[in-house]
Amino acid sequence: MARVNSPKELEGLRQQILSERDPNKPCIAICAGIGCLACGAAKVVTVFKQEVEKQGLKLDVDIKETGCPGFCERGPIVVIYPEEICYLQVQPEDVPEIISQTIKEKKVIDRLLYIDPTTGEKSTYESEIPFYKNQHRLLIGQNIKIDPRSIDDYIALGGYKALAKALCAMTPEQVMEEVDKANLRGRGGGGFPAGAKWKTTRDAPGEPKYVIVNADEGDPGAFMDRSLLEGNPHSVIEGLVIGAYAIGSHEGFVYVRQEYPLAVENINIAIKQAGEYGLLGKNILGSGFDFVIDVHRGAGAFVSGESSALMTAIEGRVGEPRPKYIRTAVSGVWDKPSNLNNVETWANVPLIIDRGADWFRSIGTEGSKGTKIFSLVGKVNNTGLVEVPMGVTLRSIIYDIGGGIPGGKKFKAVQTGGPSGGMIPEQYLDASVDFDELTKLDSMMGSGGMIVMDEDTCVVDVARYFIDFLCDESCGKCVPCREGLKHMREILNDIVGGRGKQGDIELLEGLSRVMKKASLCALGQTAPNPVLTTINYFRDEYEAHIEEKRCPALVCKELISYHIDPDKCKACMICGRECPVSAISGGKGLIHIIDQEKCTRCGTCFDVCPTRFRAVKKISGEPVPAPVPEAERVLVRGNK
Amino acid sequence: MSEVTLEIDGKEVKAEEGTTVLEAAKGAGIDIPTLCYHPALSPFGSCRLCMVEITSKGRKRLVTSCNYPVEEGLVVATKSPDVIEVRKGIIELLLARCPNVELIQNLAKEYGVEEPPYKPGDEDEKCILCGLCARMCEERMGASVINFVDRGVDRRVETPFQGTGDKDLDVCRACGACAFVCPTGAITLEDITGKTPEPILSEFDEGLATRAPVYVPFAQAVPNVPVIDKEQCVHFTTGKCKTCEEFCAPRAIDFEQEDEVIEVEVGNIIVATGFDLFDPSVIQQYGYGRLDNVLTSLEFERMVNSAGPTEGHIVLKDGSEPGSIGLIHCVGSRDEQYHEYCSRVCCMYSMKFAHLIKEHTSADVYEFYIDIRSFGKGYEEFYNRMLEEGTVFIRGKPAEVTNIAETPEEEGKLIVQFEDTLVGRQRRLPVDMVVLSCGLEPSRDVEEVARLFNISRSADGFFLEKHPKLDPVATMTDGIFIAGCCQGPKDIPDTVAQASAAAAEALSMISRGTVEIEAATAVIDESLCTGCQLCKILCPYSAISFDEEKRVCRVNEALCKGCGVCVGGCPSDAINLSHYTNEQILAQMEGALS
Ligand SMILES: Cc1cc2nc3c(=O)[nH]c(=O)nc-3n(C[C@H](O)[C@H](O)[C@H](O)COP(=O)(O)O)c2cc1C
Ligand code: SF4
Ligand code: SF4
Ligand code: SF4
Ligand code: FES
Ligand code: FES
Repeated sequence: MARVNSPKELEGLRQQILSERDPNKPCIAICAGIGCLACGAAKVVTVFKQEVEKQGLKLDVDIKETGCPGFCERGPIVVIYPEEICYLQVQPEDVPEIISQTIKEKKVIDRLLYIDPTTGEKSTYESEIPFYKNQHRLLIGQNIKIDPRSIDDYIALGGYKALAKALCAMTPEQVMEEVDKANLRGRGGGGFPAGAKWKTTRDAPGEPKYVIVNADEGDPGAFMDRSLLEGNPHSVIEGLVIGAYAIGSHEGFVYVRQEYPLAVENINIAIKQAGEYGLLGKNILGSGFDFVIDVHRGAGAFVSGESSALMTAIEGRVGEPRPKYIRTAVSGVWDKPSNLNNVETWANVPLIIDRGADWFRSIGTEGSKGTKIFSLVGKVNNTGLVEVPMGVTLRSIIYDIGGGIPGGKKFKAVQTGGPSGGMIPEQYLDASVDFDELTKLDSMMGSGGMIVMDEDTCVVDVARYFIDFLCDESCGKCVPCREGLKHMREILNDIVGGRGKQGDIELLEGLSRVMKKASLCALGQTAPNPVLTTINYFRDEYEAHIEEKRCPALVCKELISYHIDPDKCKACMICGRECPVSAISGGKGLIHIIDQEKCTRCGTCFDVCPTRFRAVKKISGEPVPAPVPEAERVLVRGNK
Repeated sequence: MSEVTLEIDGKEVKAEEGTTVLEAAKGAGIDIPTLCYHPALSPFGSCRLCMVEITSKGRKRLVTSCNYPVEEGLVVATKSPDVIEVRKGIIELLLARCPNVELIQNLAKEYGVEEPPYKPGDEDEKCILCGLCARMCEERMGASVINFVDRGVDRRVETPFQGTGDKDLDVCRACGACAFVCPTGAITLEDITGKTPEPILSEFDEGLATRAPVYVPFAQAVPNVPVIDKEQCVHFTTGKCKTCEEFCAPRAIDFEQEDEVIEVEVGNIIVATGFDLFDPSVIQQYGYGRLDNVLTSLEFERMVNSAGPTEGHIVLKDGSEPGSIGLIHCVGSRDEQYHEYCSRVCCMYSMKFAHLIKEHTSADVYEFYIDIRSFGKGYEEFYNRMLEEGTVFIRGKPAEVTNIAETPEEEGKLIVQFEDTLVGRQRRLPVDMVVLSCGLEPSRDVEEVARLFNISRSADGFFLEKHPKLDPVATMTDGIFIAGCCQGPKDIPDTVAQASAAAAEALSMISRGTVEIEAATAVIDESLCTGCQLCKILCPYSAISFDEEKRVCRVNEALCKGCGVCVGGCPSDAINLSHYTNEQILAQMEGALS
């Protein structure tokens, strides 16, 4: 690859790439993101390649493996260009038909389209699918259009134009000014204004200065940063170089967790390619600015995402937060000024430079500008990645984009901000999603995890889950966090296990206060959030667990029992067969009875009892009805 | 460094910029509890006990004082309600973790925490995970042996690579610094390493006491300041530590300091390099070094000294007082196998020991002697006094000291096997302690010193005086005098007398201001000298030197005694004695014969 030595040469390169590409040549883009790969996308790609060859179309069709466009729920996803026909859940068997019908005949295969579950309406194009229609996909929208291993794909779409503009037409101060004016706030959790942080690093004494991408992403269920790094690594690199230019840094790190092998691979390829074009290294685009990037693989600890822990890890030590009152922006890696931003924060930078701060400010709310990617998971119809402008309501994300709660269940709460966030109940569904509003509700934006829970979710149990996660993921350095979490877990285990005592709630509250005030890093300071918000919004459920030994959501094993309604049992014998501990006595024509002593409350009988009978009942907080007397067990079949 | 003024608990406090709030509070006598802080280690901020409430730029918040830097105008409250709540909360958590650690129990008492509201943990748990051990080992000892393993609630302290046998990893030196710094006694060295600590033995206390690598060599040392033992000092061996520097308030520790060689030009030198004590371990049958409670006289000397390792108490290895002590004279002296000469001081110092033992203890004392040589002024009288004090004198040199008992009475004792020559009987005497009255011998480096000053040595190895009767302090080299035991064993009065004489001789030379040289000195004819340097080797007064440039030998007339050895030795006949040339001698001979 020839070096690109000026913005003009970059534009020349772009034109050349475009001229070599026929916009009308059919292109099959297959999502090779992690979700789709898990659904068999790799096989689909292979079959597409074979089939194209078999049908003699090898030279007439392009096949592209792309990053994740977000609708992982329906993977593997295939988009056919130039028409942009979007097929969902494509299986290898569908491939020959797609080639023969859609590619050759230009016919749409209805069966593979998105069908609205409520209206039954079909959507042919990505843009028509409600999941996408209600989003504003500035960042992940590109993913399905480019092969992340091809820098040319990125350049063809105008990539590195912002870098050229920043380096060659703007001073570092102007770049800083623009980002500051855009009021870009950190997407990694705290929402700290990026411009202000950059300034601090730039003005801090000490050389060299470092810029760092935080791709540690340890929240359970979150994969926004992963999909950006895997699907569009150049956007992150471009942002990082622009930031480095503004800050006056010549060395950057990408801290990415080892568990993201594809992200590690793609970012490394991207760095290599950018280097070959001279978009990294010495004298970038002839501007005289030098910059190199080093990829640091993290050992996969949630706490390593915390800024000082991450920097300690980059130094090659155990990723533990440091007890420093000097900000890392002033004294970070090897005590040098180090500016750390989240993947998504960096990816926003090229957009701001390219289209201007005013454009960016036009999106979002007063205090929170731009879009935010959420990883929408849990009890919601359309799980996946969603990117929305700041300020949309929780309701809109969960219902309009997420398609509501499956199985006609009732919404109960949504956890935002990962383990450090809180649970927001139904009454706040219309709250707008931005940094400040979520904080007001005692939760937080976090890095964008969003877990939806329905009425079958026990909030005490969920709080316990997060605390359990944090018990393992805290570094264990400081007393309030380590010991506090340990006892918090114990108390919660007691409550869900039916051993809760009067005063436990108050004890949890008091302990939370100490942890919040005394913990060394934000992990410990925010760790009580899931507990505090659930106590705050669902205190009655805690009380039910403690006082009545009842789990209102019928989840906590120790507090529930299964029994068979004698009036409904049809002696089909399925449950008896399936029960793993043979706790069900029955037999042909006999009403089945669960032996409460033997029952482990695994719920198998409940699940397997045919829906038309629904004879197995789950109860909590009430005595199990006495079994039918032996004499009455023989089933009297109805009028048949 | 500039000074800042802050307010702590309403008190105005001045502190140096760059120091911490904790240090400032300490300086002002305000107590803040800490657990993970140590002045010699980097702040860790893990226990959170030292939290204080600060008001900075109008904002109130809790910070850990052990690492929060002082600021101008900072307002600090160390006992605000918030601080107390947090501190109590932490103590409750720690008490639940370590219910039986006294340090925590005391804190709990102080803060009115009775029972923690949480389930108490393992009652044997002692570690509060303060990390002092790990930091000590890494930052100061440079070993990084002990550290945390695992994370979250499973975090614990371990030495993961010890006992693996891998030389690069199994690096614990058993220095014990971790156990020393641990505030709760959670570490025992045996748990950490199979290696046993090797204490540094005090040279001055004859190995009866240990010393630190930084130490004052002995009481009343001149100058009376500590020195660093570079071989043992962790800083000099690993580049780390420097803890002493941290604690030395006047900042007097200087690791850059080097030994200095100072050149002084003098006209006279008095050599008083002393002696070494005979090492009795070579007399294997006496069991020194093998049997407990067999001591050398010098070891015993340290022991009875009130400034010594036992503060003057005469004790056995197990700490108990001996009931009987045997003193064996002439160890290494008057013995053909070792030194034939009499060391002259042992009889008297042994009797001094007998006296001191009687004074300090109720032990029986036995002196095993060949002859009692109490020749000095008042010495015989002292001997008689010892006899009166009840010291038992046994004439006979013991053959063996053993711990192999033959009778029940001998069990657990040291048995001295000897011939009582006055009765002519072989006997065994069980005692608790044996002191070997070792002789004096020339010091180890006697040969080097002799060469350096060109002093001859007598057959016993001590320096040879010019004349035993007529010039007992001078040597064959003018201006070099000897005094004390380097010349031969002697006691203190004799040493003082000889030293005074040496000083007087030196002074007389100094006051004369000039030296008389021999009239007849050797002269080298440079045109004949081949530079073979044979003369240089032959000259007993080191008066000949070699001129590297001209490659000929030269005679220093001030040193030449005119003995003529070189004249006869020169193979080229290049040397003549002035006023006494070969020609003159030949002429004399011819004259005499004609
Ligand atoms: C326990 C913990 C984990 C964190 N994990 C991440 C993470 O995985 N990714 C991330 O970008 N920020 C994470 N953060 C936030 C970072 O500390 C830091 O604020 C952020 O990377 C700064 O970038 P931003 O300003 O662009 O958001 C975490 C913080 C804490 C306390
Ligand atoms: S004893 Fe071993 S583990 Fe302890 S400080 Fe010394 S070297 Fe480290
Ligand atoms: S062993 Fe002692 S010094 Fe080490 S962390 Fe535990 S309590 Fe602290
Ligand atoms: S002498 Fe000083 S530097 Fe050396 S080990 Fe001791 S305290 Fe450390
Ligand atoms: S991985 Fe394919 S849509 Fe997310
Ligand atoms: S002493 Fe400050 S945190 Fe432990």
